[in-house]
Amino acid sequence: MTVIAMNPSSTDSHSATHEASNPPLAVSLVVPVVERSQDIEAVYHAYTSILDKLSLTFECIFVIDGGDRRVMNVLEALPSTKCPLKIIPLPYYFGESMALAVGFEQAAGDVIITVPPYFQTVPEGIEQVLKRLDEGNDLVVTKRWPRVDAWFNRLQTRMFHNLVNRLTGQSLSDLGSGLRAMKRPVAKEISLYGDLHRFLPLLAYQKGFRIAEVEIPQHTADSQHRVYRPGVYLRRILDLLTVVFLFKFTKKPLRFFGLIGSGLFAVGFCVSALLALERMLGVTSLSDRPLLILGVLLMVLGVQVGSIGLLGEIIIFTHARKLKEYTIRKFYR
Amino acid sequence: MRKRIELSVVVPIYNEEESTPVLCEAILHVCQSLAVPYEIIFIDDGSKDGTPQVLEKLHQEYSNIRVIQFRKNYGQTLAMAAGFRAARGKYVVSMDGDLQNDPADIPKILHTLEQGYGVVCGWRKDRKDKLVSRKIPSKIANWLIGKITRVPIHDNGCSLKGYRRSVVKQLPLYADFHRFIPAMSTLGGAKIAEIVVNHRERSFGSSKYGISRAWRVFLDLFVVSLIVRSSARPALWFGKFGLVALLAGIGCFMIFLAYNISGIVLPSVAFMFFALTGHLVALGVLGEMILATGDYRPGQMVRDGILAINRDKGASLHE
Repeated sequence: MTVIAMNPSSTDSHSATHEASNPPLAVSLVVPVVERSQDIEAVYHAYTSILDKLSLTFECIFVIDGGDRRVMNVLEALPSTKCPLKIIPLPYYFGESMALAVGFEQAAGDVIITVPPYFQTVPEGIEQVLKRLDEGNDLVVTKRWPRVDAWFNRLQTRMFHNLVNRLTGQSLSDLGSGLRAMKRPVAKEISLYGDLHRFLPLLAYQKGFRIAEVEIPQHTADSQHRVYRPGVYLRRILDLLTVVFLFKFTKKPLRFFGLIGSGLFAVGFCVSALLALERMLGVTSLSDRPLLILGVLLMVLGVQVGSIGLLGEIIIFTHARKLKEYTIRKFYR
Repeated sequence: MRKRIELSVVVPIYNEEESTPVLCEAILHVCQSLAVPYEIIFIDDGSKDGTPQVLEKLHQEYSNIRVIQFRKNYGQTLAMAAGFRAARGKYVVSMDGDLQNDPADIPKILHTLEQGYGVVCGWRKDRKDKLVSRKIPSKIANWLIGKITRVPIHDNGCSLKGYRRSVVKQLPLYADFHRFIPAMSTLGGAKIAEIVVNHRERSFGSSKYGISRAWRVFLDLFVVSLIVRSSARPALWFGKFGLVALLAGIGCFMIFLAYNISGIVLPSVAFMFFALTGHLVALGVLGEMILATGDYRPGQMVRDGILAINRDKGASLHE
């Protein structure tokens, strides 16, 4: 067992030494311990016994957000005879994305499986996920189905995913399901931060990886009623907007800003033109119409927004040769 | 020691398993007759048919065939960009993977490049495509591209083009901008020539283009021409519009003073225009800073030894 003192700046050197010293591994099990960690021992035994049964070589990586001492004690007491164990406490609460990113950096396996620290789906699901990965997919995500939890949970999940799919053109149905399997390049090429782990399949799609979704029955322990504070919903929506912007417009800022800018300008222009017409027909004098201020303001705003989009284009244009928008599967030199 | 490669042929391929071997034979035949060190780079743009296997076989069979395999379909512009990045030749020729371009035109392009041109564009004068859905829209588009970018090329959409290495390495290729390569390369100061090339009927597969892209091409054209014009001297370009806004503001203010109009509407409008002036000037300065830190310099290719002639009148053309 290895306990690695985590310091975000020193991750590179650690991963380098570990990859060099360990024999080749088939699977790295990455467990981001962020919430609901009371069952963690049972989770460990359930998953490792299945991987044992499949006779795979594997390692377990626990990344403990905030380095909770109680969880650390439980994990350090685990028998390390089954597989190499890496326990990584994070010195501060960084969230699930950071925990996963750190886990990915330490992972030495050809296949990386992420598992939540509690029973979200039935443990046997890991076999199905691995099977789908072998069928030529680069990333396999799971959908908790059939579900055992409250109808309200299902409704909000459904609504959120409808929105996601409409905005991105994908067909995903359970971004919150923590069981995923991916080939090494997926974990190493995608950089996770903030709350981006939720959108891992979208980021992987953008990098050109093949993605599949499998249905895994939800575990009965995952049936709690989930109603969040309004702030959580708002944050989720903002995250989604960020991802959509990254997804669609980063390389085309003028499309985004130009659309908004020209809309504003058009409205402003119509208002001003109408007032000018009235003035010319002698209906009223311009100085009596405060609406003119609004009209001109909208035109000015339109120009400002549009010109910022253009500046964005100039940034990309002058740096385009450093950009690599495509991803190469293989280069036969 | 490795021979220095003279010619790189870059061919983006998407779902062309039947025509690829035929095309490859044809290109090999032409290149061998040229008697210069060459390489052929195929870019498989995420094909869904047997193209990747066909290309892999060709790579194993011939030592000077290189193959880049994309993870998914990224479009022709990015496929070309990847090919250009990998190209090692002094001259680079790009062409379509659908056999409609004739590899027999390669020597002609190479010859023209050797005369000192930076870019040589093919012109499918006798185009073998459907009249209404392809030829007429293309004619209109080319006229428009010529007018707006001030580089009057007959056939921007022709993939059969030749470039000097320094031009290719300079071109910022992203989004859908491969149609505007001539326009973009003049910004760098490249000298452009146009030659008539052969165009053949499609013998395998189906065309991947449709009239539906017209709108996108139009939008891209607008964006490219704005970029090309504004990025040469951002401070001047933005400043020009800042000046217009300043004059508008002064005008409003003068009317207000001259006619002794009561009310605050006109002065308010004037101040808004002044604010816009400030905004535009600031953006212009920011643009200059971006240009200074970026790796694109207008006129870079001139310094690389390709002289531009008559840049103001557009490119110099000959047939």
